[in-house]
Amino acid sequence: MESEELDEEPEDNDEFEDEETTRDLVVPGEVLSEDIANFLPGRGTILNKEKSKIIALNIGLKQIKKNYINVIPLRGFYTPRPGDKIIALVIDKSPVKYICDINAKDVGILKPRNTSKRSKLRVGRGSSHQQEEASTEKYEIGDILIVKVLSADRLNRPELTTVGKYLGKRSNGIVISIDPPKIPRVIGRNGSMIKILKNLANCNVFVTQNGRIWLKGDDIAHERLLIDAIRKIEREAHTVGLTDRMSLFIENEKKERGIA
Amino acid sequence: MPLIIKDEYPTKLFREDGKRLDGRDKHELRPIKMKVGVIHNADGSAYLEWGNNKVYAAVYGPREVHPHHLAKPDRGILRVFYRMATFSVFDRKRPAPGRREKEISMIITDCLEPVLFLELYPGTAFEVFIDVMDADGGTRCASTTVAALALADAGIPMRSLVTSVAIGRIDGELVTDLSGIEDKAGGADLPCAITWFNEEISLLQFDGDMSLDEINQCLLLAKDAMAKIYQIQLETLKNKYITIQQETTGGGQ
Repeated sequence: MESEELDEEPEDNDEFEDEETTRDLVVPGEVLSEDIANFLPGRGTILNKEKSKIIALNIGLKQIKKNYINVIPLRGFYTPRPGDKIIALVIDKSPVKYICDINAKDVGILKPRNTSKRSKLRVGRGSSHQQEEASTEKYEIGDILIVKVLSADRLNRPELTTVGKYLGKRSNGIVISIDPPKIPRVIGRNGSMIKILKNLANCNVFVTQNGRIWLKGDDIAHERLLIDAIRKIEREAHTVGLTDRMSLFIENEKKERGIA
Repeated sequence: MPLIIKDEYPTKLFREDGKRLDGRDKHELRPIKMKVGVIHNADGSAYLEWGNNKVYAAVYGPREVHPHHLAKPDRGILRVFYRMATFSVFDRKRPAPGRREKEISMIITDCLEPVLFLELYPGTAFEVFIDVMDADGGTRCASTTVAALALADAGIPMRSLVTSVAIGRIDGELVTDLSGIEDKAGGADLPCAITWFNEEISLLQFDGDMSLDEINQCLLLAKDAMAKIYQIQLETLKNKYITIQQETTGGGQ
């Protein structure tokens, strides 16, 4: 049983909560601004061919940050980036690698040499039986792993590692998955939302960038409450004042369900 | 003995009062209803009722390409599967994909490709499954429109939406949005689609005979009609989220 306090990515995931984020819904092709002199196209936007308008690429919320116009997407898929901590499911293994489903367009590759710390001591030159053989005995197909992305680009399959803090196999708890673009909202500004969820629902939560959330509470009632809360966040991710509404929601649900 | 029912078409496609057989004016669209997010397990989905047409579209991707030899190393591919249900037309349609369905799948692919950034997703495929549940003329236009909507709902980066409509000539007069019977009995029809980011024609097919002047007129009519449909598309996409916003703020926004 792990009892460590799990932290989330300390990234600044405040994009949803920014004051400049309007609640303007935009759809692909919508003109965001024709004021090219003062604004630059940021994330989720492009200039049109004549370079006279900034247009949106995604369905999302319009955000003006300094002189950049961004679109915070409401739907989308996960693209692995080096350094991301994600939840992977082992779907296949061969003697040289594990194949993991990471909820991206490619499967992730976990090589045995990335599953354990390499010992710095070289025990006896030539005594090969002492050396750790590369083998895929550590994990089984169907295991849930928390992994870190070592390398990822457009062309190659992302490479993963389980060496590091909080990384490795999870043998308990529940994994649920939500839309990856809504992950920042589950974490909240500076982790405000996740703090509420942890404290009020009395659960241990690990939120990962690929839209999967691992959670473990004292009993199933608390876990159910937390799952309902996360589903509510996912559904209402684009609304204002969500953090306050969520704490209210959990308090009310607790009374209704009769759990402390 | 197969039962052969001869297709019979009315000789006149305009009523006494100058309206069309279904009671529309010359440039009136059939009633259009759209919905997004109708298929839970798809990455994006949309449903469209356009007159008597009922079309579902589901989008998956980016994901691995199967069969693998179709994958392109330098860019992603878009695959569209247009299928008609066996019960969608008067005679039972044989379920195997035929020549017509392959053609329509291809033209919709070519029509939607310019709005996507396929070069950002090498070795992968975006797959659009379009199922026509009920057909009454103009299913390729309806399918293109609903496919663009489903792609947008999936959160796939797009330059803009795509809208499509058919213009045709019945009894010597140009009309917008042909119904099934007008399509078969009429003189000519011209389905076309527009990509809104550059307002270019992305699909143009033609059947029948027309003067050059008439074709120019058709394109102008089509643009007007497509602008109306585009508004419905935008509203549909936004409404999915706006309704939730209104719920949480207690009605007024």
